[in-house]
Amino acid sequence: IWCHLLALTRNQLHPPSRGPHFTGCRSREQETFRCWWSAGIFQNLTEPGTLRVFYQTKNALSEWQECPDYTHTVKNECYFNKTFTHIWTSYCIQLRSVRENITYDETCFTVENIVHPDPPIGLNWTLLNVSHSGLHFDILVRWAPPPSADVQMGWMSLMYQVQYRVRNASHWEMLDLESGTQQSIYGLHTDKEYEVRVRCKMSAFNNFGEFSDSILVHVAQIPSKESTFPTTLVLIFGVIGLVILLVLLIFSQQQRLMVIFLPPIPAPKIKGIDPELLKNGKLDQLNSLLSSQDMYKPDFYHEDPWVEFIQLDLDDPAEKNESSDTQHLLGLSRSGSSHVLHFKSDDDSGRASCYDPEIPNPEDLAALLPGHSGRGDNHPLVSRSSSSIPDLGVQQTSEVEETPIQTQPAVPSWVNMDFYAQVSDFTPAGGVVLSPGQLNSSPEKKKEEENEKKIPFQLVSDGAYTSENTARQLSADVPPSPGPEQGYQTFPTQAVEGNLWNGEYLVSTSDSQIPYLLPEAPPVPILPPVSGYTVVQEVDAQHSLLLNPPSSQPAICPHSPNKHLPAMPTMPMGYLTPDLLGNLTP
Amino acid sequence: MGLSVPAVAVLLVVLLCLDPHGRVGSAPICAHGSSGCHVPSLADLFDRVIQHSARMHSLSNDLHSEFEQYFLPSKNHIRKIYRKCHTSNILTPNGKENAQKLAREELTEVILKLLMAWRDPLFQLHQSMAHQQDFNSFSSNKALEMGDMAHELRKGVEKVAEKMRVLGMLGNSVTGLSAAEAMLPLSDSGEAMSDYELLYCFRRDSNKVQNYLKILKCRIVPEHDC
Repeated sequence: IWCHLLALTRNQLHPPSRGPHFTGCRSREQETFRCWWSAGIFQNLTEPGTLRVFYQTKNALSEWQECPDYTHTVKNECYFNKTFTHIWTSYCIQLRSVRENITYDETCFTVENIVHPDPPIGLNWTLLNVSHSGLHFDILVRWAPPPSADVQMGWMSLMYQVQYRVRNASHWEMLDLESGTQQSIYGLHTDKEYEVRVRCKMSAFNNFGEFSDSILVHVAQIPSKESTFPTTLVLIFGVIGLVILLVLLIFSQQQRLMVIFLPPIPAPKIKGIDPELLKNGKLDQLNSLLSSQDMYKPDFYHEDPWVEFIQLDLDDPAEKNESSDTQHLLGLSRSGSSHVLHFKSDDDSGRASCYDPEIPNPEDLAALLPGHSGRGDNHPLVSRSSSSIPDLGVQQTSEVEETPIQTQPAVPSWVNMDFYAQVSDFTPAGGVVLSPGQLNSSPEKKKEEENEKKIPFQLVSDGAYTSENTARQLSADVPPSPGPEQGYQTFPTQAVEGNLWNGEYLVSTSDSQIPYLLPEAPPVPILPPVSGYTVVQEVDAQHSLLLNPPSSQPAICPHSPNKHLPAMPTMPMGYLTPDLLGNLTP
Repeated sequence: MGLSVPAVAVLLVVLLCLDPHGRVGSAPICAHGSSGCHVPSLADLFDRVIQHSARMHSLSNDLHSEFEQYFLPSKNHIRKIYRKCHTSNILTPNGKENAQKLAREELTEVILKLLMAWRDPLFQLHQSMAHQQDFNSFSSNKALEMGDMAHELRKGVEKVAEKMRVLGMLGNSVTGLSAAEAMLPLSDSGEAMSDYELLYCFRRDSNKVQNYLKILKCRIVPEHDC
């Protein structure tokens, strides 16, 4: 009775200790099946016959039938033969104690779900190959399906699983399922013993059968030192070659690597002119620097041999008001060929200077402007025409606003400071007023020139050369004229010498360089004009500047309309014609 | 490049549609008596059909396992629930010997009956699986594929039967399946079967079909000790 109570309390549970229960049902070939049970802890029920098995096939809703065959040889086994085995049929079996009329256990299943195939038979292996090093080998394992399974007809379609391990190891290596009856195993080590086994299951079902017996696989290692020797050599040479390649690479790319690994420290940036730029010829920054500091653009020096020539735009005389001239005079720090005053035609070069010995023709003076030969180039000298050319607003070039000389350390040394003037103001009439500048210094130099005996107005023979002396003299002889206009601009034309014409400017570096002696040059006291500047009055029809001072003697001298430089004989006193200038141009 | 990527894609699609070879379809096997054409033998036809049924059964097994794994945590320890499939009315041989004893025509007819009976239920299964949130897309796709395979298998078996009839292996007693044979999957209580029940039943029936086909082939095409 106490057994009964225990059974009731632990009904259908699976603790370690339990009453009578089924331990399993299996079919080997899907044609028969067996069931086993155990009495459990109820020792008093172990007698055969006390526990009985009853089954019921759900197919026909039949009654409970007793086990058709209790296996005699095996204890607690019920065997269903082919007759009683119905595939695709649900079975329910019960374990009963008939005497007590107690059902200890019950389970239901279908036969195809309890199929565990028998293990394959005939497991053997063949050597496929051995690696070159002799350390690894591959084998091919074969087997045969279990004889109980009818695979020929296909009643059971089996899938196999091969497992192997090093002998006596704990972990089995599992290969993928195989539907055939052979499989290759790769990468086994020589000199090691392996165990191989195989099992199978029905495809599309999950119940594996038992494992087959293990077979031993062993391949002896063939000692072959020669096989290892080349490998070592190859390795060594490979490493050496790689090192050599690396060294070559480093040496060839040394510069770039240096830059990558050791980047150059940027030098401190000092505001100002970068000498590196000058070296590299990058004058843009330099130009910007210079222009920003009101410095002269060196481009003028380097590129244009001619001084900017002043051109006046004669198309509209009405435009020659102060504003236009001012603009012209002021504006134009353009590159290269900028000029302050624009002449309509450049063909007025070579204008003959005035023959009037007394009064130099301002027009001719204008013609003397270098660059007036129609080049259109700007000569830096023009802009820097010294105070000895006061009348000419030559200096009213683009550099007018720039403080010449003094603030130009970059100016080449051959530029005579004295020859520059600065436009200080503009008259309402459109004239340019030049600042006195270095007039004071000039007289000293003029005195030096006294020895040279230049005729003030008799420079005919030499053609258009004048000196400051003569200029001064000329100016001194000029009747005083109202206004600051005085004297004449003469070109400091000691540019006879070629060296004076450095392609840069007409003015010689110093008056002392006056090469020639004008005959009959009585020393004339140099009277520096109060203001040796003239105001550009207007531009006549021939694009020559009309300067103010000789208002009483305007344009006496006829100027040749020639567009070319006049010949020597037409040399006015103290004037340098453009053609002469051209002759002198290097 | 004048053509943009979408234009090229459209062009490709059009070409594919227009090109008859681009379409995948069933080309008829050679006409009778035409030379130079490989007519598949009955054995080949059987092999194809058996392969197809094996795939179908494998699919059904996967679906059933997934269902069991996610929806029925308790293993089939005790299945007291008696499931009656809608195909239980079809008399099918329960074992190998029974199937071997059955006449070819009857066996063929049983196969066709089974396949026919599952045409609509499989479609319903796919529909209900697709609508349920519990199933992932893979499962519903598998169900759809399963339904298609069942349909194709039926067509294939019909072709095999036709071939057998032509070859004189089958008598004329094999009758066509009438529409009345198609039964709705109703359980005992008359309610529609659940998805799990459908899966369980189809898994069983697909296994039946596979084995019947193998037995049939063994009997029709004599091979080594079949």
